[in-house]
Amino acid sequence: MLRTAWIVFRNEFRLLARDRAALFMLVLAPLVIITVAGLSLGNIYGAQPGAEPYSIVVVNDDHGWLAHALVDALGRDPLVTVVSVANLIDARAIVGGRARAPLCILIPAGTTGAFEAGRDVHLRLYIDPVKRLEAGAIELNLDRLCREVTTRAHDLAQARMTEQSSHLRDQLAQASNQMKDATAELGQMRRQIESDRATAQAEMTARISQAIEQIRAATVAQIDLSLAQTETAVEGDLAARHDALIAVSRYLGQLQASQRGFETWLAKLKSAAGSHASQIPAPPQWPAQPGQAVLAELSKPLDFPAPRIDAAVPIALPNIAIGLPSLPRLPDFGAMPDLGHIVSRTSALPGTIGWNEHSITGGEANVNTFDQYVPGFGITFLLVDMLWGVGVGLMDERDWGTLARLRVSGAPASGMMLGKLMSRFLIGLGQMILLFGAGWVLFGISLGHNSWALIFPAAAISFAAAAFSLVIACVANTRDAVLPIGAMAALAMSAIGGCWWPLDFEPYWMRALALAMPTTWTMGAFNNLMIRGLGPSSAAWPTGVTFAIGVVFLALGILSSSRIYDYSGQ
Amino acid sequence: MDVVRICSSIEAAHLRKSYGARVAVDDLSFSVKAGEVVGLLGPNGAGKTTTLSMLATLIAPDSGEVRIAGIDSRVAPDDLRRKLGFVPQSIALYPPLSAFQNLEVFAQIHGLTRRSAEARCIETLEAVGLRDRADDPVWTLSGGMKRRLNLACGMVHRPAALLLDEPTVGVDPQSRESIFLTIRALADAGAAMLYSTHYMEEVERMCDRALLIDGGKLIAQGTVAELIELGGRHPRMEITFAKPPRPGWYDGLPGVKEAAPASIKTKVALELTNLRQVSELLELAHNAGGQQVEFAVHSPNLSDAFIALTGHALRGATTEI
Repeated sequence: MLRTAWIVFRNEFRLLARDRAALFMLVLAPLVIITVAGLSLGNIYGAQPGAEPYSIVVVNDDHGWLAHALVDALGRDPLVTVVSVANLIDARAIVGGRARAPLCILIPAGTTGAFEAGRDVHLRLYIDPVKRLEAGAIELNLDRLCREVTTRAHDLAQARMTEQSSHLRDQLAQASNQMKDATAELGQMRRQIESDRATAQAEMTARISQAIEQIRAATVAQIDLSLAQTETAVEGDLAARHDALIAVSRYLGQLQASQRGFETWLAKLKSAAGSHASQIPAPPQWPAQPGQAVLAELSKPLDFPAPRIDAAVPIALPNIAIGLPSLPRLPDFGAMPDLGHIVSRTSALPGTIGWNEHSITGGEANVNTFDQYVPGFGITFLLVDMLWGVGVGLMDERDWGTLARLRVSGAPASGMMLGKLMSRFLIGLGQMILLFGAGWVLFGISLGHNSWALIFPAAAISFAAAAFSLVIACVANTRDAVLPIGAMAALAMSAIGGCWWPLDFEPYWMRALALAMPTTWTMGAFNNLMIRGLGPSSAAWPTGVTFAIGVVFLALGILSSSRIYDYSGQ
Repeated sequence: MDVVRICSSIEAAHLRKSYGARVAVDDLSFSVKAGEVVGLLGPNGAGKTTTLSMLATLIAPDSGEVRIAGIDSRVAPDDLRRKLGFVPQSIALYPPLSAFQNLEVFAQIHGLTRRSAEARCIETLEAVGLRDRADDPVWTLSGGMKRRLNLACGMVHRPAALLLDEPTVGVDPQSRESIFLTIRALADAGAAMLYSTHYMEEVERMCDRALLIDGGKLIAQGTVAELIELGGRHPRMEITFAKPPRPGWYDGLPGVKEAAPASIKTKVALELTNLRQVSELLELAHNAGGQQVEFAVHSPNLSDAFIALTGHALRGATTEI
């Protein structure tokens, strides 16, 4: 058994040594893919970017020291070239049109001021969503940079605050001493003022009392004089009225006596007259009334001068002027520190720096990863399937002998090739449409604003892939070689062409190489339509280039197709 | 099968093809008339397949001319191809397609309309005995069935000339008989047939004439009888020994010589002048210490003629090109 095992074991190595395709797949193919992947993704892991670093477009609307510090720090990064532009329109043109310009940083006006005032400030990052990963890598650096700037600013502010705090303490100590002196001086001053006030109050009380007494005496004298004059006038007036009153009183006495005599008379008369009472003559006349002058005198108002103080008699006011004590001189406290200024400078630490993301195209800044991978891996598998359909298919037909038989039939080789390529082209196109549909249903990929336009780059890459497979079939020329060579070429073309990762990850020379590959242009067209959300015209140029490369492939395939029809070795 | 007289022929004039320093076909000229079946007989590596490939325009000769039905391959290769049927040595079929679909493809590619192709396919399947397997995928057919279908695909369009490259390799006797009948019928219908093989029995049975080639050169051509006559018509005796006799054991017999170099020491092929020498040779071998196991005496055939003409056996060990 061991001998059998040994023989089989040894034979396997012999077979492997004779199997060039297996050796190719065993060593060279993985090495090629590893090389492509390693070189493509080198920038992610910090490899040197080559001759052309990333471009960061900066719109500086702030112009403050913070903005300049950020721009300077960005410029010091060897992986980055800072492109300063005046406005967002110019920035959009650069980010959209330049390969390694994944984002624009807009530093809003007032950023430095807000930062100094301790507020959080936010830069505005306008990213190309197609270059999301590159933008992410730059954002990592930007994040580190912002943290460094913030930390540095905080450190500087802290140092300045420490210095100012020390200065403030000195100033406060000086102010405190001055305040103590002032307090002592003010105490002395208060005591002096209280003493002076007591003296002034006593003198003023005495002088006012004296003045009041003098005024009172003068006033009493004036009043007494006025009352005497009034009394004399009233007595004169009352004497005349007394005489009139006596006359009236006399009259009234007579009148009362007459009245009583009359009444007696009348009573007698009436009794005497009996039935002739009606013939009684008129009674006698009443006495005459006092005269009008008498009555007027009685009713006239009293006319005597009201007692008055003669204003013409001056009352001498007492002199109450008091000599006030002079105020004590204010103590000199010296120059007080400007505490308000110090406080205003040291009261706030700088804020923090962050950013907000926006899409440079106005759409979503964040990309559904399937927007990259559905078309990317769709193209990869289109290439592989086309390789299988066209390349391996041709080799199968040759191995089966059917190709020779068709050739002998007299049917033109161009017709046979056209039929094969056309059928595979339509199958490839159908495959792409199906994958996009599945991606839309299963993963919610964006088909852009004009989903119908996706058919053009899909058709172009399907055509190019069919022609590419023909070239591989002609180059490899055996079934065993088509798959390893074709698969390696297809995978490398997908990797370099940006189907698996963004093109900008790759070094300069590889991106230059990618321009010759249809995958690069097709991915560009898909990205424009799906991720950037641009119009159909954005896909016209890359689709045209893809088609042109397909034409070149087709020409090469046709020119070398004689290898497929070479039966001399059979 | 309909019998349609087709006046056509295969003509090759001074064909030469070399691969580097090795000459595969060297100044080969022959012709096949309409209705004639001509065998192309030679050992492996004689240049049969190269010759057929040049006739089929699959490879271009270095020099020389090919005409099929009077059409020069250099002037109108596509017209020539349309007159041609080709049955390659390997089975040239689409394995996933059915027998009918395979036939249909080749019928239509030769210019038959869909309707006529369908009728012709059924008729051809009937002719090769595969009517009942018409809808089966090729990969499900036996080796013999595939061979028959392979032949059918070459003749479905009724070619004026049919090139057959060892069409019976690996075929069971029943299928071989069916193939023979089909070929004969097509030839009777007027097609010129060039039948490449290294089975002399097939040539003897099938072919009106034969071309003997070796090392890319035409050694001889003619009817089977003519070729055997060219070989000398001497009987041949083959003796197998358990113990070979001493060398020079038959030197005393006049006219007896080795027919072909011995491949093994215990087996010898001798050309005799007459049948009386058989008993004499057996006695001489015994006297020389030989212990014979068996012996056989043959009348001369194509193989003998080939050996006589080329000095080596028909079934060579060299690789076919």
